[in-house]
Amino acid sequence: MNATSILHREPHLRIAIGLMGALALGACASMPPPTSNMQAAHQAIAGAEQAEAARYAPAELSQARAKLAAANTAVSAQRMTMAARLAEESQAEAELATSRSAQVKAETANDDMKRSTRILITEMQRSSGETP
Amino acid sequence: MNPLSQIGGNPVKTLIATAVAAVLLGACATAPLEPVGAAQARAKLTQLQSDPNLANRAPVAIKEADKAVRTAEQPEVDKDLGAYRVYLADRKVESAKAQAETAFAEDQRPTLIAQRESARLAARTREADAARGEVAAARADSAESKAGADQARGEADVAREAAADSAQQNADLKAQSAELQRQIDVLHAKPTDRGLVLTLGDVLFTSGQADLKPGASSHLEKLVAFLDKYPDRTAAIEGYTDSVGSEEYNQGLSQRRAESVESYLTGQGIDAARLSASGKGESHPVAGNDSAAGRQQNRRVEVIISAPRTAAR
Repeated sequence: MNATSILHREPHLRIAIGLMGALALGACASMPPPTSNMQAAHQAIAGAEQAEAARYAPAELSQARAKLAAANTAVSAQRMTMAARLAEESQAEAELATSRSAQVKAETANDDMKRSTRILITEMQRSSGETP
Repeated sequence: MNPLSQIGGNPVKTLIATAVAAVLLGACATAPLEPVGAAQARAKLTQLQSDPNLANRAPVAIKEADKAVRTAEQPEVDKDLGAYRVYLADRKVESAKAQAETAFAEDQRPTLIAQRESARLAARTREADAARGEVAAARADSAESKAGADQARGEADVAREAAADSAQQNADLKAQSAELQRQIDVLHAKPTDRGLVLTLGDVLFTSGQADLKPGASSHLEKLVAFLDKYPDRTAAIEGYTDSVGSEEYNQGLSQRRAESVESYLTGQGIDAARLSASGKGESHPVAGNDSAAGRQQNRRVEVIISAPRTAAR
């Protein structure tokens, strides 16, 4: 008596083992490339560039680009799950680059304003110190 | 027929089923843990949510970040999947924080603009004041050169000093100024460039005498009241005569008359330090001495009430 003969005689077991095989291979079975994720990442990077991230958040922008490049490599290697994750990471990174650029710009504008107020006050105190 | 009862009945089948179960459960053999880094992402998010300046400034991004952190916190055997979720959560928290900081900075801007504008305004006002001060100084210089003779200017000065006086004394400038003017009116004093001048005709003294007539006090009452009300003013009492009699005599008589007015005032409680008395004799007639009417005008006592000294000028 061997296992093969049992499988022949037991149709339920055959089905169970077949299903398991399908599950195990499922991830690798010629999945389509994560096109929409890649596109979203691409757009997010374009948005960051628009927000002058190259100037205000260069580290995040280049990280987003590197992640998208890695996603492309993963697609070539047929590692679609990995590609999808890298694309999503790229998108999140690019969105962060956009947010940080806006923050830097807003805070710089405020700092400029505070500085000019301070200069006005300092000049006024100096001139009032000179005139009797 | 139940497959389980079949398995239970056959030892080989049992073996296979156990192997299958082992494969199925293999993933769960080590208890799944929360992915590394999820706790840090949660801590960052909590910090953002408890910052009163930021918590309510990027609600959509914070909600999204919270969702990503909750996903990342789920126990996961697949280390790559866990790391990916933590990465996304972390970036989303950072992004939400940046958005909240941006909104906070933008919300502060109107205040900063207002501060800068008020500083600018103050600077301009100061410049204008300095310029105006120079103009005023120049004007004062030129006015000073033709001073004294200008009666109109003298009157304006008295009025201005009266106003400045009341401004110094109290906040209720208008009421005080009006009150002062009323008092001046009651006194029948004339504002001149020497101050307020109150002229008392020859009602105080009998001819040739330096003692006050019994009825004189009624003429001096208002003066006493005024000096009582305005204790920072001083009064110079000057006696004048007509040209009847010798000059020396008239000088002495005018002096004594001024002194009697002074001593009457001190008797009414006016501080002597505020008063001075002098005789001017017959040397300053205000009318001709060739008529009785003119001589009557010349016989007089003038009380010059000074404006209080103002600190600023």
